[in-house]
Amino acid sequence: MADFSNVNLNFAYELFEGMQKDNLGYIYRGHFDQNITDNILLLTEANLEKEEQSSKVRKRIYSIMVEGLQNITRHQEDSEEASQEYYGIFVIQKKEEKYYITTGNVIEKVNIDNLKTLLEKINSLDKDALKDYYKEVLEEGSISNKGGAGLGLIDMARKSGNKLLFEFDPIDDKYSYFYLHTVPALAEGSEASEGSDESLKNIMNIHKLLNVGSVRLIFNGLFNQESLLNLLGTIKGQITGSESVKNKVFYLIVEMLQNIIKHGTNIVPDSSGNPGLFLIGEKMGHYVITTGNYIMNNKIDKLQAKIDNINSLEAEDLDKHYIKSLFNFEIDDSKESGLGIIDLRIKSGNKLRCSFHQVNKSVSFYTLQTYIINK
Amino acid sequence: MDAFLIEASEDSPKILFDSNNNIFQISGRSLPENAIGFYQPVFDWLQLYLQAPNPTTNFEFMLEYFNTASAKQVAKILLFLEKLSSKSDVVVKWCYKKDDVDMLASGQRYAKLINVKFDVIEQQ
Repeated sequence: MADFSNVNLNFAYELFEGMQKDNLGYIYRGHFDQNITDNILLLTEANLEKEEQSSKVRKRIYSIMVEGLQNITRHQEDSEEASQEYYGIFVIQKKEEKYYITTGNVIEKVNIDNLKTLLEKINSLDKDALKDYYKEVLEEGSISNKGGAGLGLIDMARKSGNKLLFEFDPIDDKYSYFYLHTVPALAEGSEASEGSDESLKNIMNIHKLLNVGSVRLIFNGLFNQESLLNLLGTIKGQITGSESVKNKVFYLIVEMLQNIIKHGTNIVPDSSGNPGLFLIGEKMGHYVITTGNYIMNNKIDKLQAKIDNINSLEAEDLDKHYIKSLFNFEIDDSKESGLGIIDLRIKSGNKLRCSFHQVNKSVSFYTLQTYIINK
Repeated sequence: MDAFLIEASEDSPKILFDSNNNIFQISGRSLPENAIGFYQPVFDWLQLYLQAPNPTTNFEFMLEYFNTASAKQVAKILLFLEKLSSKSDVVVKWCYKKDDVDMLASGQRYAKLINVKFDVIEQQ
């Protein structure tokens, strides 16, 4: 059995802090297909609607996302055995009322020069020239043999009203990451704002962290039933392995996320959900699922004792404990079933890991981790 | 008595109780945010049914997934069926998809705890 006892749980808090700082909302790293793309779009759409963005702004953000995602889908290396470091990455963040969308995908180094020339040309054109160029390319047909990529980039530049920020980062002799960072203009005539190099560099660093930690998906934001359902949809298509593994992952995720929804603490009063972090990774043949959320300091001792107790129990005692709790309708209110933690321990077949990182006098950041073998 | 129907949603199961045709089914996913609130009307209907039940009651669970909050509600329903079995021949059918070891384990656990005829059935 893989030993996870040395894996540093503070990793989650560091990521949370880093993501909070730059307001990174959602990162997906993996193989992109139609299903994943659709779910990412749904998740974002729901968030935009909640924020009451105008339909025009929503449409603009949406179409830039579509182009960006299609860009990854079209150009990712298709080989089945593609190792994790060839995965594409998609990041959405909101800073000072503006959305930033960053995509990263692997390209062959031989294509860098052409791509650079195209991007530099796009960035050198003003609004009208861009429009003409768009028509020109449209008439000529696709530039790239995979079709339409050039058109997609021109379109992204037009929709964003800004220059496209890009970066290449070599992986090995043959391949390189291609990062594209765009910010959709929020309103007509509003001041054009460019993405910052610093922001893109930060994302490139986080990408490296994710590669090292084998993290596949991170969601940083407000947790509620709606974001839970969207996340489940996104994750479903990404879990490989037997039906039984898929089911288990599903069980663990629901229980852990509902844990945040029900028990998380909100440091800024907001009724739409509790802030938290969710990440899922693949490591040493295991799926590792981690959640993080705020907890009141005065609740830590009780929770820690509860987890320690559950971890100390084995098969039969664990089952007894489960049954006792199952039929204890006394503590059964809409907030606590009392079963969640026991269930996580039973379903994962492993001890739970947790840590508490004190944030201030009243709250701490609580990280909970489970893992199951992927066989 | 009138049939009871709740259509399935993304996070709640389909529930169909039709005593005239002797159908009692709960199927799909059950992970509502507020499980107690969701199942309250189910218990209301079952209470009425208890007053004049059919001679036999075949109660089928065909769940794909349920969260722990729903697990308690399922336990409550099963306790109710135990009570009902003094007035009606109750058979519980717990269906699980082949390879869903957790759903199988849940069925077996409930079967041990509830004193009614309880069949755990594998489905393809």
